[in-house]
Amino acid sequence: MNFNDDTLQEICQSFSGFCAAVKSLLNDSGDLSVRQDFVTHVQTLCKHGDRLRTLARDYFLRSLEEAFEKNGASRFWRHFENYSKIEEDLEKIDEDEIQRVLCKALEEICLVKEDQEKWLLIFVQALQSYMENVPDGKYNFEAEKDYLLSKYQLIVSSILMASLPRRFPEILRWYFKGRLEELSTIMGGELNEENECQDRDEMDLDDKSKCRIGEMDIDECYRQDKFSENNKLVKNIGKVVRDLRNLGFTSMTEDAYASAIFLLLKDKVHNLAGDDYRSSVLDSIKGWIQAVPLQFLNALLAYLGDSTSFDQHSSALKSPLASQPSSSYPGTSTPSQGLVKWKLRLEYFAYETLQDLRIAKLFEIIVDYPESSPAIEDLKQCLEYTGQHSKLVESFISALKYRLLTAGASTNDILHQYVSTIKALRTIDPAGIFLEAVGEPIRDYLRGRKDTTKCIVTMLTDGTSGNPNGSGNNGDSLLEELNRDEENQENVGLDDAFNTDDKQAWVDAQRWEPDPVEADPTKGSQNRRKVDIFGMIVSIIGSKDQFVNEYRVVLAEKLLDKSDYDIDSEIHAESVETGISLDNLDATIISSNFWPPIQDEALILPEPVDHLLSDYARRFHEVKTPRKLLWKKNLGTVKLELQFEDKAMQFTVGPVHAAIIMQFQEQTSWTSKNLAAATGIPVDVLNRRISFWISKGVLTESLGTDPSDHVFTLVEGMVDTSKNSGNGGNSEELLAVDEEAERSVASVEDQLRKEMMVYEKFIMGMLTNFGSMALDRIHNTLKMFCIADPPYDKSLQQLQSFLSGLVSEEKLELRDGMYFLKK
Amino acid sequence: MKVKLLLNLVLHSVEFFSPNAEGTVILVLHEYRWHAVASWTWDAQDETCGICRMAFDGCCSDCKLPGDDCPLIWGACNHAFHLHCILKWVNTQTSQAHCPMCRREWQFKG
Repeated sequence: MNFNDDTLQEICQSFSGFCAAVKSLLNDSGDLSVRQDFVTHVQTLCKHGDRLRTLARDYFLRSLEEAFEKNGASRFWRHFENYSKIEEDLEKIDEDEIQRVLCKALEEICLVKEDQEKWLLIFVQALQSYMENVPDGKYNFEAEKDYLLSKYQLIVSSILMASLPRRFPEILRWYFKGRLEELSTIMGGELNEENECQDRDEMDLDDKSKCRIGEMDIDECYRQDKFSENNKLVKNIGKVVRDLRNLGFTSMTEDAYASAIFLLLKDKVHNLAGDDYRSSVLDSIKGWIQAVPLQFLNALLAYLGDSTSFDQHSSALKSPLASQPSSSYPGTSTPSQGLVKWKLRLEYFAYETLQDLRIAKLFEIIVDYPESSPAIEDLKQCLEYTGQHSKLVESFISALKYRLLTAGASTNDILHQYVSTIKALRTIDPAGIFLEAVGEPIRDYLRGRKDTTKCIVTMLTDGTSGNPNGSGNNGDSLLEELNRDEENQENVGLDDAFNTDDKQAWVDAQRWEPDPVEADPTKGSQNRRKVDIFGMIVSIIGSKDQFVNEYRVVLAEKLLDKSDYDIDSEIHAESVETGISLDNLDATIISSNFWPPIQDEALILPEPVDHLLSDYARRFHEVKTPRKLLWKKNLGTVKLELQFEDKAMQFTVGPVHAAIIMQFQEQTSWTSKNLAAATGIPVDVLNRRISFWISKGVLTESLGTDPSDHVFTLVEGMVDTSKNSGNGGNSEELLAVDEEAERSVASVEDQLRKEMMVYEKFIMGMLTNFGSMALDRIHNTLKMFCIADPPYDKSLQQLQSFLSGLVSEEKLELRDGMYFLKK
Repeated sequence: MKVKLLLNLVLHSVEFFSPNAEGTVILVLHEYRWHAVASWTWDAQDETCGICRMAFDGCCSDCKLPGDDCPLIWGACNHAFHLHCILKWVNTQTSQAHCPMCRREWQFKG
């Protein structure tokens, strides 16, 4: 294109005029005449071709940018300067002040922006009016306008972003937190009333989330008046949000109020859940979500026209009035997709928070299990929602290791916790898959304890759960519980057995659910897998045989301890044969083959008793020819009453104790050697046993002439040393049980030791040949070669404990996991 | 089957006085009741029945209860078997039965 001087002149003039107009426009929001000038200059420039128009446009935008930077952004940030300096805690800042400052700053900057947008529009209109005059103008104004506005929006937000102070997001978050808390307290008062109708509504709440939101609308109708109060607050917040969006802080704003909501929700969950496991909190949390954050979001989204995806500039164009149609009244709006999403997010978050809270406290929850079942129920629902079972397993296992599986915990407590765990987790996970994982460490640990088997059996047989001092487990009998359980499970089993018809099969099939992902595929399918507490406990012991063995021992001890057994009522009645005979002698006669090996201890009974026994035996032989009796002299119980000068004392003791005290009738003082000879008890055993009488204040011990020989003397005058035995000197003492020494039946360990003796030679031989061997290798070699009678069927642990016995007997040596012969 | 041995010995109150020079310490076992434990045995001089290989003090493979319900029987040759076992054996023999242990003619002892 050719320019002559005139045109050039004209262009220069109008461009400088344009520049001046722009400057005055932007600086002092020019009056009408400037505006007129501006329009003419623009149009003149346009006349001279596209390039000049673009030039003018770019210049205009640049000027806008500069002006915005100067008037808008820097002023805006100046408001927040104070906060940027306070590094440590925003908590000290007054929330109202934040609110005020923020509102004011936003108002100002929005004003600036509005002005500039106005000029931008004028510019566009000027272009438009020029183009309309040109006949061949098929210029796309809409596109141009959109382009300019979005460009402008970009400029604004990039300026603000570029100069964003570090603390601003935090300030926003703080602001929303304050507002939400305010809202929450308003709603909170109302929530209490609300709860009642919530309960009522619970009936028809079955159809998940969609329905619930619809229902929320109903709620809102009769909350309307209250809501209008909140409406103002929400509207204020809404305005702030809209302004922020307008400035391009959309995502930051959303982040800020989202995190404020989540923070509040978290607080709320923590508040509601607390350390009380006796009530379910899930419903009230849901109620709260419904009442506070969702209300808030509903109102907010409605106010903003629910337009996250809305084009920025078009919403910026709308006047504040236009953007809030009647839909800002929540009663009439249908739940938007955004709200549903929010609801899901919030609920998920609430579930997760509660779940984390409960998982962290799972140990305590399980400790008071039957009472804490509401918390377990909650946790179950949460987990169904979040699916983070593995978190539970990990955290619980580490809690177990830290809190329970330590040397300080008694085996009984561990077992009780184990049972509670089984029961609690069964609610959460009926298939028992996580239980498998959680139970493993407990089982492993218990297997390492010697008294586990005994404790289990005692727990199962005793109503009193095995520990007499009953550490807190308020006497709930494991046996009873198991029986109850068994019944339940049997019922289920019955159902399964009978429901073989097609219809039921179909129902079953519909109920089928796949195993959770975490399931170990090697452990069989969920189908038919029931969590069987008894089975799980026995599995600790290792095998049924071992359990039965131990049970036999415990039962045997019990029967032997009882003198007046009602024989017919006991399952093992057949093995106890005959009862009462002589006036002050009765006997339990057992069939030895049906009993575990019985501990034999030497004992010489006092002559009159011995006489009685042989008399009894003779009679028995007469009646039951050709059967004979073999007395287990150290077993049984003796009830005796000692008559002193001034008082009588009653005791129920074992035959050994009775034999000892009876010796003192003939002679009031004995040396331990002589007494041992008279009673046939080894001296060391005697010294141990006699302490019973010393502790009762019947005998005293003193050193004799020979320092290794103690002298026991009958107490003179019987000072009442046993104050605890109480009144009038007529005290009934329970069976003197000195657990370890007085086991009448050979313990399972002893039996095991006896059984292992067979292999001792073999092991010695192996070690002579090979020099040293590891436990595994010994085990495997025994398994390989000892297949004849009796086949080697011991577990690795059993072998290990036997070997460590040999080590302590100094037959073997253990170095770095290898066994050697002791040289 | 329960057999009660009743034997009335006048032992109701056995008293032992300890003769004591000073007469200060006297222990009187005023009364006592002894509950003893014993096991019975057939006293068969052998552990297991030669027919069923079960313990004599146990019972034969058909029985559940040892003792009077599953008694032992001795032959003239002094070999003992569970009664049930030897009866089964004797009844399966067409002609004269022999002791499974020593092949002598089977006669119930006394």
